[in-house]
Amino acid sequence: MKSELRFQLAVAVLAVAASMFTGYAVSQTAPQSLASPESFASISDTDARSAAMFTELGKVLTHPRCTNCHPATDRPRQGDEGRLHQPPVTRGADGHGLPAMRCSICHKHANFEPGRMPGHPEWHLAPREMAWEGKTVAEICAQLKDPARNGGRKLEELIHHIGEDTLVGWAWAPGAGRSPVPGTQKQAGALVEAWVKTGAACPAQ
Amino acid sequence: MTKLSLTINGRAHGPVEVRDELSMNDFLREYLGMTGTKFGCGAAQCLSCAVIVDDPDGTSYTSPTCVASAASFDGKTIRTVEGHAKGDELTALQKAFIRHFAFQCGYCTAGFLNEGQVLLERLAKAPVKRADLENTIAEALDGHICRCTGYIKYHEAVRDVILADSRRYLVANQ
Repeated sequence: MKSELRFQLAVAVLAVAASMFTGYAVSQTAPQSLASPESFASISDTDARSAAMFTELGKVLTHPRCTNCHPATDRPRQGDEGRLHQPPVTRGADGHGLPAMRCSICHKHANFEPGRMPGHPEWHLAPREMAWEGKTVAEICAQLKDPARNGGRKLEELIHHIGEDTLVGWAWAPGAGRSPVPGTQKQAGALVEAWVKTGAACPAQ
Repeated sequence: MTKLSLTINGRAHGPVEVRDELSMNDFLREYLGMTGTKFGCGAAQCLSCAVIVDDPDGTSYTSPTCVASAASFDGKTIRTVEGHAKGDELTALQKAFIRHFAFQCGYCTAGFLNEGQVLLERLAKAPVKRADLENTIAEALDGHICRCTGYIKYHEAVRDVILADSRRYLVANQ
């Protein structure tokens, strides 16, 4: 192999490697942050600004911490990989599990780190009509605006639900081995509030 | 540290100070020496560590102890495998397990026994049709893992106890 060709190959390999590491770095750091509503002020069109803020909120809503318990089926998922819950449990009539396998049997009032068991007093699945797993941010946006599919909430009530509900808040402190959703719950609540106040526009995709 | 008080097999324990990170399984086995409750997978997958929790409303359910803190059992009333027999007199379910040789290594037996006992007590309050019995047993024992693959023998042992007292556990004329 000619030295010139060898050099070009080496540069190409280095470039690919660098891009991979850059991508890795981005994927490891970017999801940890959540942009503030103010950072979207440069978008003059109100609908576009509103939709952009919801897209930012989508980092939270499509995170495994949320979608695992907003599953597309009656069976929750777990882990950052979103694998099917083991042991095999299903939602039951009230979203708290079957009579013989209630969520609270294993999921106590708080995380129990020695057992790597997440916990909260109200641990349960989101209702079937509030399934987010596998949906796009735009689809979730439309869903959140529909009282039939958002738990019968007005848009203003979503500010409290996402910004203050303690079960939702668990997603920011999920315990060892589970990555938290980006930002803070307060930041997420601020995004919801700003989204609602700007007309609750949904992103196109 | 948390002060823990609970009732186990009809006997009050505590208050005793326990570390917040102490599992209920370790509390039973290491603090109290009640080693009938096993430690299996450590992830609530096999249920060999399951004990019976008796709620104040009269209902009972099994709960894994490996993934739960001892402190989370404060104020509860539980039963372990040591609490089934009255002296040397085994329960009908224990006798059926022996008759069927339902267990080989026995590691999962405490969990199956507790689950079977909860089922019997539930059926005594809410009998099922004979036609639904097989599914009822299968669903009740589902989740308990037996590496010796004794599932059918456990199932048959539970069924034997129910059929031997069908007027108690099954809906009449079915």
